Amino acid sequence: MNIFILDSWLKEYLKTKASAKEIAKYLSLCSQSVEKLTQINNDWLYEIEITTNRPDCFSVYGIARELSAILPRFDIPAKLQPLDINQQLTTINKNSLPLEVKINKSSLCPRFTALIFDNIVIKPSPKIVQERLEKSGIRAINNVVDISNYLMLELGQPMHTFDYDKIKGNKMILRESQGGEKITTLDEQTRTLPDGTMIIEDGKGRIIDLCGIMGGNNSQVDEKTKRVLLFIQTYDPVKIRQTCQKLAFRTDASSRFEKGVDPEGVLTAMKRAVKMFEKNCEAKIASQLIDIYPKPPKEKKVNLNFELIEKVIGIEIPKQQVLTILQSLGFSLITNHQLLITVTVPHWRYNDISIPHDLIEEIARIYGYEHLPNNLPPIANINQKNNYFKWEIKVKEALKFWGFIETISYSMLSGQMLKIIGVNPEDCIKIANPLSEEWVYMRQSLIPSLLEIAAKNKKEKIKIFEMANIYLNMGKNQLPQEILTLSILISGENFATIKGIFESIMEELGIKEYKLNTYTLQKTFYGKIFHPSHRAEINIQKKSLGIIGEIKKEINRQFGIEEKIFIFDIDFSELVKIAKEDKKYQPLPKYPPIIEDLSFTIPPKIYIEEIIKIIKSTSLTIKSVDLTDVYQDNKTFRITYQDRQKTLTDKEVQKIRKNVIDSLQEKLKVKLKDKKD
Amino acid sequence: MNQEFLQNLKNQAISTIIETKSEDELEQLRIEYLGRNGKITQLIKDIPTLSEEKRKIMGGLINENKKIIEDALVSQKNNLQRQSGNQEKDWFDFTVPGIKPKIGNLHLISLTIKEISEIFARIGFNKVSYPEIEWDWYSFEGLNMPQNHPARDEWETFFIENLSHPKYGNAVLTPHTSSGQLREMEKVKKTLSTDRQVPIRMLNIGKCYRRQIDASHAPMFYQFEGLVIDRDINITHLKGTLDYFVKQYFGLKRETRIRPFHFQFTEPSFEIDVTCIVCGGKGCSVCKEGWMELGGAGMVHPNVLENGGIDSLKYRGFAFGWGVERLLMMKYKIDDIRLLFNNDLRFLKQF
Repeated sequence: MNIFILDSWLKEYLKTKASAKEIAKYLSLCSQSVEKLTQINNDWLYEIEITTNRPDCFSVYGIARELSAILPRFDIPAKLQPLDINQQLTTINKNSLPLEVKINKSSLCPRFTALIFDNIVIKPSPKIVQERLEKSGIRAINNVVDISNYLMLELGQPMHTFDYDKIKGNKMILRESQGGEKITTLDEQTRTLPDGTMIIEDGKGRIIDLCGIMGGNNSQVDEKTKRVLLFIQTYDPVKIRQTCQKLAFRTDASSRFEKGVDPEGVLTAMKRAVKMFEKNCEAKIASQLIDIYPKPPKEKKVNLNFELIEKVIGIEIPKQQVLTILQSLGFSLITNHQLLITVTVPHWRYNDISIPHDLIEEIARIYGYEHLPNNLPPIANINQKNNYFKWEIKVKEALKFWGFIETISYSMLSGQMLKIIGVNPEDCIKIANPLSEEWVYMRQSLIPSLLEIAAKNKKEKIKIFEMANIYLNMGKNQLPQEILTLSILISGENFATIKGIFESIMEELGIKEYKLNTYTLQKTFYGKIFHPSHRAEINIQKKSLGIIGEIKKEINRQFGIEEKIFIFDIDFSELVKIAKEDKKYQPLPKYPPIIEDLSFTIPPKIYIEEIIKIIKSTSLTIKSVDLTDVYQDNKTFRITYQDRQKTLTDKEVQKIRKNVIDSLQEKLKVKLKDKKD
Repeated sequence: MNQEFLQNLKNQAISTIIETKSEDELEQLRIEYLGRNGKITQLIKDIPTLSEEKRKIMGGLINENKKIIEDALVSQKNNLQRQSGNQEKDWFDFTVPGIKPKIGNLHLISLTIKEISEIFARIGFNKVSYPEIEWDWYSFEGLNMPQNHPARDEWETFFIENLSHPKYGNAVLTPHTSSGQLREMEKVKKTLSTDRQVPIRMLNIGKCYRRQIDASHAPMFYQFEGLVIDRDINITHLKGTLDYFVKQYFGLKRETRIRPFHFQFTEPSFEIDVTCIVCGGKGCSVCKEGWMELGGAGMVHPNVLENGGIDSLKYRGFAFGWGVERLLMMKYKIDDIRLLFNNDLRFLKQF
């Protein structure tokens, strides 16, 4: 959370000649980060990001305390000024105004204090109070309310003021709400409270405070107020946080309470408040101080071994310097042995400092990280090898050079999308608290995302791919299976183009043992979105790993795509397991090949693969067979004959050719194309 | 005379034509096949001697093959002329637009991940990846962030409906790659016997998810997480590693600084700044007094080491987890993260 602090206010508590720029720089380097420094007239405003572990820095005084330890390290003298708290709190013995307090569970409220003022004159605050509040981003209201806001900024202790006469029965009961109780808060919002919310009820059963977050408007101070109940507490931070989350409502006060407010600081705040009430409101104390503090925290001690300091920080810091740093931050030394010391933790750091490493951080940050050298860690034998990434890069780069554009889309799909592609939402991993309807289900396939992208960019013929995890529901108590998947989309081409991409990728991965089969299932995801026959299943080592095919027209229409879409979709994680790099050297042939084209007339329903297989198996001298031309049922094959031992003669080739023609004729009724036709 | 003979004759002619090295040689071949007494010419002369049926078939075929051989001669002649020198005086237009192969594009995130991985590989880091959908234990609890801890607020987390584990808690979409820290420790422990060292040099890169969307936050984004664990690891190694990375990625002129910060899973914790790439460190509107925030880091908290089964008295480590998009947006001056996931091809084609 960010806070705003005025330089002039800061310097009321920190005597130093440091400039605002110096303060911003050194505070950032050693403690909390100054995000912004703005000049306002002849003052400066620091915007400071306070980390969650440092609620003690949520105030002007807290920052001044930090700087008093930091600035001297940069040779800038700085001295923290004591707070003006020489105040008697229990001066009234007679005619004390009554207040009965009941706390239902002491863990809810570690410390409860209250004090009543009489003779209040409501008017605007003194100019300096108004100005400081407004420059720090809080609206000035009146002299009473402003005191609580002013001291929250100055000391980090939120507090609340009630009109004492609006608390019926002079009674406060602090309890947890139940059964949907309601409160109208100062901002005039009526809020239904989740069960277990900390509230205060008065003697007439009215809820007058939403503890630690905001007061009720039924008891607020207004221009007619004469008597004020000042109320300073600390609360169970977890409770406050839960309530704020459930109500989706936070205030400056709750942000401080939920990070933990120091109960030892409560009386300091009370004393400062009394001073201000007397000065700004002409008020008189009209009650005994009520201070319910059943379990003050015990003194906290932490041991520190000097060897560990060096091990963590990496250099040796002289012992005296370590002690000086710790003392400047408020730690006191209890025992001091050669290599081991024990210190007590100052009360304002009670929850933050527990183990030696916490002390080491204090020493290192004040010593200054910029004084530490930069070293690289030693190289280690880590006994791990990960090939995944190598193949991933290889395939992605190949695709890029083949003209494909890589896309990255969100892993989540909408319910509407599941409907279009025919996936049952019950089968998907679902986000319980989605950000929008667009992103609810974790995708089980990359194909819908690619189709969306094709639809969005439909002005051009596109070639795109994505490589990402898909998420398969594995049922109760099990994390879903995340499978790295490669999906490629081509629009406006044909089956052979996408198949060629598949074949080339297999070549790049050194995988030869793959097989395409007809894919007959109609009710699967693939079955529903792919053309019922223009598709083939990819099988490798008897596992079905993916599909190549054309998307159904109906699906295209749903996405608003007119072009034919061809997709190749495969489980990339399985491919990586069998990908190979080893290539074999073969001596170059010494004798020239003979190459010729033969055209055949092919009867229907004969797979080209079969023809090629028959041609190849005719003779070992046939080195390769390629399909070069297709015209109606005529197909032309280019045959390369080559013998490793000798130059082939016409006669030899003639013999093989005859065998090819005969066996095609015999096995498949395929005829050599007759030139007469 | 038959078809086979003709086919062989043609094959022979073509292969010898392609082999020729000079126009003289080529002329010899022309005479050999198409000259007055050439082999093809001879066949044509013989046509009238064939039977009527054969005449029809062979007539067509011979002419077809004659044409093929003629074409081959012409095209080889052109080739030879192109190859031979003595063309200094030819006017040549080198400004003709080149014919480029059609090349696609890798996504900027992929390019960046590759670059990051290579930079860290050079100092011995091993790239891994861990689940995106993860148990609460790995994403929070085991990283020293118990339920209801205010530090959890920083991670606007997506929860998975109806999925939890009796020991590891609810399933979430991991909001950071730090969830890989405990996974890596467990993996390394499994592969080594207890008395041996457990050096870790991990670079975990993956998708993370948070419930936020605006110009600098997308609900899905990438992080890279470094984790180094060994006997003698200290803050100077963290400083050195991150300074090395920044100089490799942004350029040798960049300076880095580390500032105290707070994370539950590291102690001490830091944030790393780099001198502003816009103003070079003088201070401008996009930076903080000359510095830009890169990301968090810290020394692995002893509780986290113990949760990962590693003896925190013997071992120490450091970790950092930074946003991939943040880095590339700084480097390429991209002002809206959502552009990276919109898949507008006009954007993707720029990289």
